[in-house]
Amino acid sequence: MAVTTVPVVPTTTGATTAPRVQRHRRTSPTATILLLLGAAYCLMPVLWVLIASTKSASELFTTFTFTPSTHLFDNIAFLTSYRDGLYWRWMANSALFAGVGAAASTLVSAMAGFALAKYDFRGKSLVFNLVLAGVLVPAVILAVPQYLLLAKAGMTNTYWSVLLPSMISPYGIYLCRIFAAATVPNEVLEAARMDGAGDWRSFVRVVLPMMRSGLVTVFLFQFVAIWNNYMLPFIMLGDDKLFPVTVGLSGLLNQGATQPAMYTSVVTGALLSVVPLVALFLGLQRYWRVDLGAGAVKA
Amino acid sequence: MKKIPLLAGALVAALLMTSACSSGDDSDSTADPNEKVALTYWSWAPNMDKVVAAWNAAHPNIQVTVNKQDGGDPAVAKLLTAIKAGSGAPDIMQAEYQKIPTLVSADALADIAKEAGDLKAKFPEGAWAAVTLGSEAVYGVPQDSGPMMFYYRSDVFDKLKIKAPATWDEYADAARTIHKADAKQYLGTFSSNDPGWFAGLSQQAGASWWGVNGDSWSVAIDDATTQKVAGYWGGLVQEGVIDNKPMYTPEWNAALNDGTQVGWLSAVWGPGVLEGNAASTKGKWKVAQLPQWDAAAPATGNWGGSATSVTSQSKHKAQAAEFVKWLNSDPAAIKLLAGTANVYPASVDSAAALTEPPAFFSNQPDFYAVAAEASKITKPFTYGPNVNVAYSSYNDAFGKAAESKKAAEFAGALATMQQATLDDLKNTGFKVAG
Amino acid sequence: MSTTVRRRTGAPYLFLAPALVLFGLFLAAPIVYAGYLSLRRVRVSGLGLGSGSRTEIWAGLENYTRSLTDPEFLPSVLRVGAYGLIVVPCMLGLALILALLLDAGRTRVGTFARTAIFLPYAVPAVIASLLWGFLYLPRVSPIVDVLDRVGITAPDALSSSWVLYAVANIAIWGGTGFNMIVLYTALRAIPTELFEAARIDGAGDIQIALRVKIPIIAPSLVMTTLFSLIATLQVFAEPMTLRPLSNTISTTWTPLMKVYRDAFVRNDIYAAAATSVIIALATFVISYGFLKLVGSRAFSQEN
Repeated sequence: MAVTTVPVVPTTTGATTAPRVQRHRRTSPTATILLLLGAAYCLMPVLWVLIASTKSASELFTTFTFTPSTHLFDNIAFLTSYRDGLYWRWMANSALFAGVGAAASTLVSAMAGFALAKYDFRGKSLVFNLVLAGVLVPAVILAVPQYLLLAKAGMTNTYWSVLLPSMISPYGIYLCRIFAAATVPNEVLEAARMDGAGDWRSFVRVVLPMMRSGLVTVFLFQFVAIWNNYMLPFIMLGDDKLFPVTVGLSGLLNQGATQPAMYTSVVTGALLSVVPLVALFLGLQRYWRVDLGAGAVKA
Repeated sequence: MKKIPLLAGALVAALLMTSACSSGDDSDSTADPNEKVALTYWSWAPNMDKVVAAWNAAHPNIQVTVNKQDGGDPAVAKLLTAIKAGSGAPDIMQAEYQKIPTLVSADALADIAKEAGDLKAKFPEGAWAAVTLGSEAVYGVPQDSGPMMFYYRSDVFDKLKIKAPATWDEYADAARTIHKADAKQYLGTFSSNDPGWFAGLSQQAGASWWGVNGDSWSVAIDDATTQKVAGYWGGLVQEGVIDNKPMYTPEWNAALNDGTQVGWLSAVWGPGVLEGNAASTKGKWKVAQLPQWDAAAPATGNWGGSATSVTSQSKHKAQAAEFVKWLNSDPAAIKLLAGTANVYPASVDSAAALTEPPAFFSNQPDFYAVAAEASKITKPFTYGPNVNVAYSSYNDAFGKAAESKKAAEFAGALATMQQATLDDLKNTGFKVAG
Repeated sequence: MSTTVRRRTGAPYLFLAPALVLFGLFLAAPIVYAGYLSLRRVRVSGLGLGSGSRTEIWAGLENYTRSLTDPEFLPSVLRVGAYGLIVVPCMLGLALILALLLDAGRTRVGTFARTAIFLPYAVPAVIASLLWGFLYLPRVSPIVDVLDRVGITAPDALSSSWVLYAVANIAIWGGTGFNMIVLYTALRAIPTELFEAARIDGAGDIQIALRVKIPIIAPSLVMTTLFSLIATLQVFAEPMTLRPLSNTISTTWTPLMKVYRDAFVRNDIYAAAATSVIIALATFVISYGFLKLVGSRAFSQEN
């Protein structure tokens, strides 16, 4: 069986500057129309939330839904004043959970993925199979036992209770293994060893830079996963000053029967909470690459 | 090579440190009057932190921090998980009356009979029974209550020359008149999403879904009284004069705003919800007593309402009980509860704090007189230890029934609820009569 | 060709140590604990009101029998199956078509379309479901509104005959862009020579796509299908958020919703643990079965 890795060149060049000669070819109206239809489908709810966030509470339920209004800044101001700026605290918490959690998770995944891709050792397939099994486990199932175990350590209702479980990502390890196998040639490792560099030193100096675009991908994955996570922080945290924005917003929505849901604040808050993610993606787009098939084996 | 074990070591150290820090404060539980204690209070009432600020200013040694919760259900779910885990619960907990048996059964609440002393006289009998469960123990102090009332759009009623219905027959007639005049308009909706609402309506009719006989429980969800209520609503939904969509949805909000929902069977806290959801209809609403089954013997039920309890995990139960007592019986606190936290205090002294109608009902000066009357005629009702099971069964069974728009399905839904509730009690090992 | 280097050193274990410690603490231990809980139950005595009236005892397989014989369980499993049959082909079909269109390079709107279609990936499922909830409810929906103006009465998206599609649509909306990018990246990596020859022979874009491009990116298609299948089995946030808006989504609409209800609403973590174990096992079996079926070793080690 021949092992052929689909040839990718995932060093510093990203998907947008793929090394293929761009041919000047006739444009096809059908292709354009289909792509624009796809874009319209995906943008329509976003456009709606953009317009809805400009409406006052009563306009949200009385005016034609695609007519924008003028209350965006009022809504943001109200959201900002809600319980002394709690919303922005939630955003900061989300940034902390997602930023620190994703960075730590990326490093942990890179180390593990590198070891799995580039070393032979006893127990390797056991570890790898464990990682694969880990990919399949839904977060909802983990939440309760995680809580009960962390409570035994007295760690619930702390930043740690959300950060630590976010640091392990079987999917991240799986991706890093693919990236390490595809981007780090053995010759380079051998050369580093000849120069007298230890394993850790060559990992930091040689491997991490070579895996850079892969690591950005894993970081983004994990950042989005943690930013969008609801179940884990919902169950771990009791103090609303520690909430991330997903849990906070859903609280504004489900206030119980005796309080009105704060729809305008939820809509405005939802819009603002997506902005950092979109900015991050556009900013890091040129590093972004996912090639799930890259490490595949073809007979 | 050296950094890897260091990193792992740091992680483990962080784990140990955090656990050491948080388990460091379990030392003593004796009440030293000069000891400084910090208490946490889980509540979902708005502005509760401002009410508590008044306590904190006057009690430098007992500082209470409010952790705002999403509402009664999530707060209880979290509390029960914390109790099971053995740590993580607050000292003080706002608990809806219907959740108290569940919480007591899970050993989540502390008995504060000793600290409560003579508080009993300050609360209506029904509310006090809800926190004692008919025993000598006291599992909390009633905080607020939710006697049910009927809200209606007086402008629509005036235009159609109908008056507020005094009986359920009149309510049905009004519903028909309104829907006939404008096919888009409904006097109300049957909400499969609000079991507490349906429980309140059944309570008004004289139902009591659980009961205690000696040392065993009984379940009477599918009794003749509740069947009457379910049959009544099933009939109206089948006839199509009452809507079948849940309340508290954007759809329902829009309907309140554009005047297609012109009535709401709600409770004393209704104005806050109406103001938040349909501010533009201010001045058009009025409140009356619920329509009656028997006009000669007026009655109502409860929807919402909660007590303040001390949890079994609190390390400072005496101080926590002191705060709970102050919050619900001190005249200044009651004023703050009513004016700042926007709840209807359970204390019999609340009338003094409630002289002005809520802003949204400034057109009805006697708002709180109606509420006080409703409070007086609230029927007794016993909740069991598995209200959560009955209520989630309500969601599913009545969801199907409402969607089908068939009266027969409503009766079936009640039987499903009864069965689910009974099975769960038996299965968990509770002693059940019958 | 050797893919690995340097045998018999302690280095790989040290590189793996943080991952293994975290894995053990936050994945393995909770799963083992869930397995333990699934065999336990609470026994109440009498009225169950005094402290100490509750004891935890061994339950054997009782929680499993209760879970599997729950009349709502089988329908919820079948529902997820039907949901998967809608979501996976639609989402991946759309993603593949859009990726091929982008890759063919016959349009000037490529960058815009790629960004726009990918955007929903950044929207949390809870928030996406809330937005779509607004778009589904007839009285607040702009879609219904617009259709109404041109004289079409839109069906109620949350009524019993449409609700499955309504939930599936949210998943398709959120997942198409991500899968499109994955496939697009794989397409970009195909060397031009591989299909220039076909082009010279007179093959059109569609033929090139079918005969050259799709077979080459088959491993990526297998992986996206697998991950979509897993996500499908775990459908939870979307129906959970839509549930209070309608009469048609029950509290046990999907198996994971049943887990949530048992654990958080009914406070019966033992039943929840048993259902969790069943779901986990089913996920393994289905993933493994799928990989066997397509005969791919993409998900295993290279050597």
